Amino acid sequence: MKKRGKLSNHLKGGWAVLFIVLALITAVTMFLPMWEVFVVGTSSTLDSSSAGLKLWWHEFSLEGFEYVFRVTKLAKPFLNSLFVTTTGTVIQVLLAALAGYVLIQKELPFRNAISSFIMLTMMVPGDLTLISVYQLNKQLHLLNSYQGLILNGLISGFSIMMMRNYFQTVPYTLEEAARIDGSGEFGIFARIYMPISLPGLATVFFMEYVARWNSIMLPATLVTDESLYTLPVMLKAMIMSTESTSGTSVAPDNAIMAAIIITTVPLLLIYVFAQKFLLNGISMGAVKE
Amino acid sequence: MNKDKKNLWRKMKRFRSIYLLLLPVLIYFVVFSYYPLILGIVKSFQEVKLLGNSEFVGLENYKTVFTNSQYHQAFINSLIVGGGTFVFQFVWGLVVALVLNEIRVKILRSAFQTVTFIPYLLSWSVVGGLWITILSPTGMINGFLRLLEGAAYTPVAFMAEAGFARTIMIFTGSWKGAGYFAALFMASIVSIDGSLYEAARIDGASRIQQIRYITVPVIVPTMKVVAVLSVMGILRNFDQIFVMMNATISDKVKNLLYLIYEQGILKFNVGEATAAATVVLVATLLITQAVRKLLHYDAIYE
Repeated sequence: MKKRGKLSNHLKGGWAVLFIVLALITAVTMFLPMWEVFVVGTSSTLDSSSAGLKLWWHEFSLEGFEYVFRVTKLAKPFLNSLFVTTTGTVIQVLLAALAGYVLIQKELPFRNAISSFIMLTMMVPGDLTLISVYQLNKQLHLLNSYQGLILNGLISGFSIMMMRNYFQTVPYTLEEAARIDGSGEFGIFARIYMPISLPGLATVFFMEYVARWNSIMLPATLVTDESLYTLPVMLKAMIMSTESTSGTSVAPDNAIMAAIIITTVPLLLIYVFAQKFLLNGISMGAVKE
Repeated sequence: MNKDKKNLWRKMKRFRSIYLLLLPVLIYFVVFSYYPLILGIVKSFQEVKLLGNSEFVGLENYKTVFTNSQYHQAFINSLIVGGGTFVFQFVWGLVVALVLNEIRVKILRSAFQTVTFIPYLLSWSVVGGLWITILSPTGMINGFLRLLEGAAYTPVAFMAEAGFARTIMIFTGSWKGAGYFAALFMASIVSIDGSLYEAARIDGASRIQQIRYITVPVIVPTMKVVAVLSVMGILRNFDQIFVMMNATISDKVKNLLYLIYEQGILKFNVGEATAAATVVLVATLLITQAVRKLLHYDAIYE
């Protein structure tokens, strides 16, 4: 009770200095590059291409944004990304919930076999079957189409298992009560399991949304038609201007940074509003592996 | 026996609608997961021609993959960049988590967590574009160096120097992923009962001793999970190289996954590419099993 202040439980001396130095180095290394993106993206083209540090505005300007919308025509890839990501994610979450619900039916014959069949797909990472996935899409005429961008990766064993794990925590008494009240199978799913598992649904939704929004390998492989480019593929084409399929000239730094800002904003919004679900999903995902 | 069968049949009939519900999902996995896997393995034993039928060539493709020097180089690059990234990212993530746990001011704490975690959320197009610009002759790094060396300074095109290539890939990879590892470590750190620290303090343990004997042991199981997770990914880094590689540094950083993409998609060497992919798949599964054993990973959840 006495001398409370003296008993403070902090690092002292050299260790405190070491921790502070490490914290500062990390914070600066992480923050400064992102800050420079922001400053350069909102600077004039002339300023952005000059040598030297650009950690503060010489002249605030939205030339970069104008460039990406006028020359690179970034609005189309943005809408493509938004459409493909949102549609794919919503369908994925619904199907994962349905399949997850099926897998908790204790009486269901062959339940374990079905479970293993789904889990086995998680052992083989999609990036290692890329070549044959490409050929499959060719056979199904899904190359260069929205359907292809949405269908590939539409259902994931990972999401199904996450939903199953959530459903398993729902107390059985709730289900029993609903059954006595005369609810059918679907009623129980829609009125008991789905509402209770909203945090689980949100977790799967946001995890999947971020992954889809960011994916490069599949869209870059399945799509060669520039009007179907998603944001990351377009951004990649801007960076690698020598290989630019549009044949446009080298994009200035402020335009690339503006495109980066546009690609990043939706993710930042998700981080701000759904941080809890993301962090939760990440640690669940790791534990389950 | 017969009765059991009848029972099973009756049960299956009862769940008819549920099977029907599941059918699209199962068909999807057959088409989009199992079929490509099998197709890939079949193709790896074939010589695939653009025109006409493919013919079986036995282990020819595998022989090429194991003897061709570009696959060797890609394997070495994968190991160096992948392994280097893992080690650096692991240490950095650990540092971030431990530092984070010592920050008591709430705003600072959440600012630090945000700034370290955001890079993990970004696409490799974003992270790659960002660092390519920052490492360019007019970028931030050259800006700092100019500040140090004065007006006579000649800028370095870091991305065009083969000597820097691997270091850059390892650094940027860790920059993107350190916050992710830290978040995983934090998930177990926050589960520590505060009274443990309290008790240790009353027993006269200094804060660094508390970190050493309370915090770190709690993260050890997570460290194992993280190690297993990362080992599975070491040979499978595509996005970063796809975005950041250029001709002058390709010898140093072109990895297996990129080479497979290049051979299979861009150059239509389907047989060779699928053989290489199959090798990577088997290697990944084997390495993962080995690491699991080594870390007694399965014991964690018993």
